[in-house]
Amino acid sequence: MDLFVIGISHRTAPVEVREKVALPGPLSRQLLRTMHAEKTFEEILVADTCNRTEFYFVPHNDADPLPYILDHVARAKGAPADVEPSLFYRHRGPDAVRHLFSVAAGLDSQIVGESEILGQLKTGYRLALEERTAKFLLNKLMHRAFRVGKRIRTETQLGFGSTSVAQAAAELAGQVFAELAGKTILLVGAGKTVEAAAKTLVRPGVKQVIVANRTLSRAQELAADLSLGRGPAQEADEPITCPALLRLLGLMNAPGGSAPTPARIPARAVELVDLPAVIGEADIVLCSTGSPDLVLTHEALAEPIRRRQGLLLIVDIAVPRDVDPRLGKLPNVFLHNINDLDKVVEGTLARRRSEIPKAQAILDYEVAKFSAWRDSLDANATILQLRRRFELVQVEQLERYGRKFDPAAREQLQAFTQALINKALHQPITFLRSLSQEADTSEQLLMVDAVRRMFDLDSIETPGEDS
Amino acid sequence: MATLLTFVNWLLPLAYLAVAADYAATFILRTRTHVRNPALAGVIVLHAAFLTAWGLHAGVLPLGEIHEILSLIALSSAILYAVIEFTSRDRRAGVFILLLVFLIQYTASVQLAGPIARGRAAAIDESGGLHVIPAIFAYTAIAFAAVCSVLYLAGQRALKRHSFGVLFDRLPPLDLLGTMSWHALLTGFLLTTITMITGALLFRHMGGHARGGAFDVKVTAKIVTGSIAWAACLTAILGKTLFHWPLRRVCQFIVGTFVVILALFAASWILTAA
Repeated sequence: MDLFVIGISHRTAPVEVREKVALPGPLSRQLLRTMHAEKTFEEILVADTCNRTEFYFVPHNDADPLPYILDHVARAKGAPADVEPSLFYRHRGPDAVRHLFSVAAGLDSQIVGESEILGQLKTGYRLALEERTAKFLLNKLMHRAFRVGKRIRTETQLGFGSTSVAQAAAELAGQVFAELAGKTILLVGAGKTVEAAAKTLVRPGVKQVIVANRTLSRAQELAADLSLGRGPAQEADEPITCPALLRLLGLMNAPGGSAPTPARIPARAVELVDLPAVIGEADIVLCSTGSPDLVLTHEALAEPIRRRQGLLLIVDIAVPRDVDPRLGKLPNVFLHNINDLDKVVEGTLARRRSEIPKAQAILDYEVAKFSAWRDSLDANATILQLRRRFELVQVEQLERYGRKFDPAAREQLQAFTQALINKALHQPITFLRSLSQEADTSEQLLMVDAVRRMFDLDSIETPGEDS
Repeated sequence: MATLLTFVNWLLPLAYLAVAADYAATFILRTRTHVRNPALAGVIVLHAAFLTAWGLHAGVLPLGEIHEILSLIALSSAILYAVIEFTSRDRRAGVFILLLVFLIQYTASVQLAGPIARGRAAAIDESGGLHVIPAIFAYTAIAFAAVCSVLYLAGQRALKRHSFGVLFDRLPPLDLLGTMSWHALLTGFLLTTITMITGALLFRHMGGHARGGAFDVKVTAKIVTGSIAWAACLTAILGKTLFHWPLRRVCQFIVGTFVVILALFAASWILTAA
């Protein structure tokens, strides 16, 4: 029973091809449900993101599963999935494990080290758990993958810095202010760009948010949104433990269950003409309007800015620019535009790429560790190790009590203990042997794993094995 | 006792160097930037124990000789930095301060090696300590303010010029550097004031004669340096609070003041030696 992966990604196919097999949430669920009913695979999981669609599975037989998968993808999508098979990559055993770990760490991502992938893998895993297509091997594998992804991000700088304009703005803010708590953020414009950037920047603890826009009603809408903390969903840091997760989902869906209430952030809306009056309150100004002319002009704002105390960071992400460059020359003012933010992002990516060898070394170690664990689930090897475990106990106890007997009695004692062990082990060994004679299933592996853990067999060496 | 003191005397600069290397790793690798450093607290305790033991061994306050004063400056700088790191939880400026502390303590240790082996000759009376101790801490605070100001100006320049190179993300945030510099300046001003008051009282107590028995060049240089430092601190404080100087100007002023103080110390040393 081995693990396989078949997938298509930004490395092998353009987006027009990838979207033919893309399986957003509901479609993945439908596909898994059908496959579970047809019992085609022992275990299967779909990982679907904007850059990849991958199927991790444990097959029952050696037949090529791609035509079957594509057929079911076409049925789920209601459109033919006519994709050239050569565009799919396939990995088996340790190579499949390596591929998954590499995906979880963000090494295979278009933006190296991005962390969203871990959340997307968790979503795929959650679907497989709910549809009962992830069992023993995929459970172990996914939990290990989440830990490896987290370990690589912690021990290397693969996840360092900002890779989006919004994150770069937040990083620049971090260079000027030790913390955003107690700071006032002024948003100029209320379009999608400002909204996305603001949701990265506005965090609990911020003193207040002021939204300035030409249309006051839109500014009021955004202010209300930010005030309620309707930011992007945060991924949990901890890997999912399946029963807990399912319980949690049950709780959240249950009547009377409630989601945590986000902290309210004071926010108010003003019109653009009020900018000179409110800029004195701001510590950070983020602007992106669709205006063809400058919105923050030197003439209108230089004097109020000069009068204010403390540092002022202005981030202008509009094209064409909204902020008069002369404002950046004022003391205590730091003005950055979209080009500066791009420079921050480029620097980050270069540094992440330089961390890849370190991440690969961790990956090698983790793949070897997982493969060694997988190999240990062999029933015959487990029988040998189980015998060895009891032999060690016998030797230890004979050493301890045997010296109280004369040689003849000691021989009898040894024969007695041997017979006792043989009797005691007969049933477990017969059971393990029956497992080894049948085809592998997740349940069998689970049982072998349970025996190994029960007798701590991973800590002993089989005779003849290198130490 | 002398053997143990000699051993710790040489161990101290090495310990500061090791801690500075740890901070350098933080600066270069950008790791553990918001973790307090327990090793620094250990070295500070060792340093304080060493100065106490040396004072007990010599039977006088360890303030009479230039090398003892240098060692105390190193200790007070390390303490001041440790307090700031403890409160701000940001250790990115540590490498600069700790390298300075290492250099000062190394100089002190080189000169202390002789007196520890031979025994101490010069002494300082108890009342002199009330003047010397605040003076040491005052100059330490001004030196600290100057280092923070240099870092502030470097960071500010990089951000103004949109240069996201070596310094970007390696220095503490600008507002933290500005606050550190400002607080150190206020401390320096307070201690300089105390130093000048105790100095005047001490001078009067000695009947208008300095310790050497005459109103010599060394004493005149000390008075001039102290007065300039006090006036410069006061100017910077008034400039910021009354005339709304931007932080950049305050930092430039602090750095300038520190350079002038160093120049005056050097001039005093040259004149005294001559």
